[in-house]
Amino acid sequence: MTMTDTPTEIITPPGEPLIRTRRFLKAPPELVYRALTEPEYVRRWLGPRRLEITVCEADLRVGGSWRLVHRAPDGTEFGFHGEFLELDPPNKRVGTFIYEGAPDATATETFVCERVEGGTMLVSTMVHSSVEARDMHVASGMEEGILDSYSRLDELMAQEQER
Amino acid sequence: MSPAATEELTDSELDRAFRALSDPTRRAILARLAEGDAGVLDVATPFPMSQPAVTKHLNVLEEAGLISRHRRARQRLCRLEPARLKQLSDWVGSYREFWEESFERLDELLEELQGAHEEEQSKTHSKRRGEAR
Repeated sequence: MTMTDTPTEIITPPGEPLIRTRRFLKAPPELVYRALTEPEYVRRWLGPRRLEITVCEADLRVGGSWRLVHRAPDGTEFGFHGEFLELDPPNKRVGTFIYEGAPDATATETFVCERVEGGTMLVSTMVHSSVEARDMHVASGMEEGILDSYSRLDELMAQEQER
Repeated sequence: MSPAATEELTDSELDRAFRALSDPTRRAILARLAEGDAGVLDVATPFPMSQPAVTKHLNVLEEAGLISRHRRARQRLCRLEPARLKQLSDWVGSYREFWEESFERLDELLEELQGAHEEEQSKTHSKRRGEAR
């Protein structure tokens, strides 16, 4: 069972190609950082239970690489990999993030562990970008659309169902 | 990222749909069409822009799969395609689900690690006390 009903906050600031997730964790940054970076721990929590982690590797050095593969119950595999850009235990970990289904798009993923009373505020920021400014623009439009449109979508869906 | 997200829509379809939704005029057009099918002229009425400009927006929405166009009698009507909206809504929902379930598992792991850590510390502590004696 979980300890608390802690809300996960997902923020997509308009006009910026990023998704930010904030979540309080009832453990000190030292432990949270290890759980976020060491493969033996990562494989025990990252992703929903129905997805099996078949590969979880990390060379925990700046310039070192990581790779993770999730397998869905139907056997479909989803691979992700990247490179560590900054490792500053227990505060911050920055790395690139590439979904192998769309290998041309490189995102940057940052985890920041803020020490707060009773535990850690984990702030994860995924900045989408790509080599070309145009693609950057596309990504920006996309992320901006997500939550901006979310309540709108609910509204539209509700209207649609009434019809 | 949520792998489940890609099961329904390809990345370029997602890009197109979210790009289409990132414009307030196009969202207003969708809201208008949620009330019922409408011709281009009806759709264009509330907007301070030319009909060709509205047509351009409609093309973007159609390419994104958010609306379709069909003929009724002599009129060309636009229709909302709720299936695509549903897919987008599911996509956002699955992102949240992915992280919420992950964090719940992380809570459990941290609780366990912290328990082990404290046990370790108290052992070291009593050992040290033993040595001191």
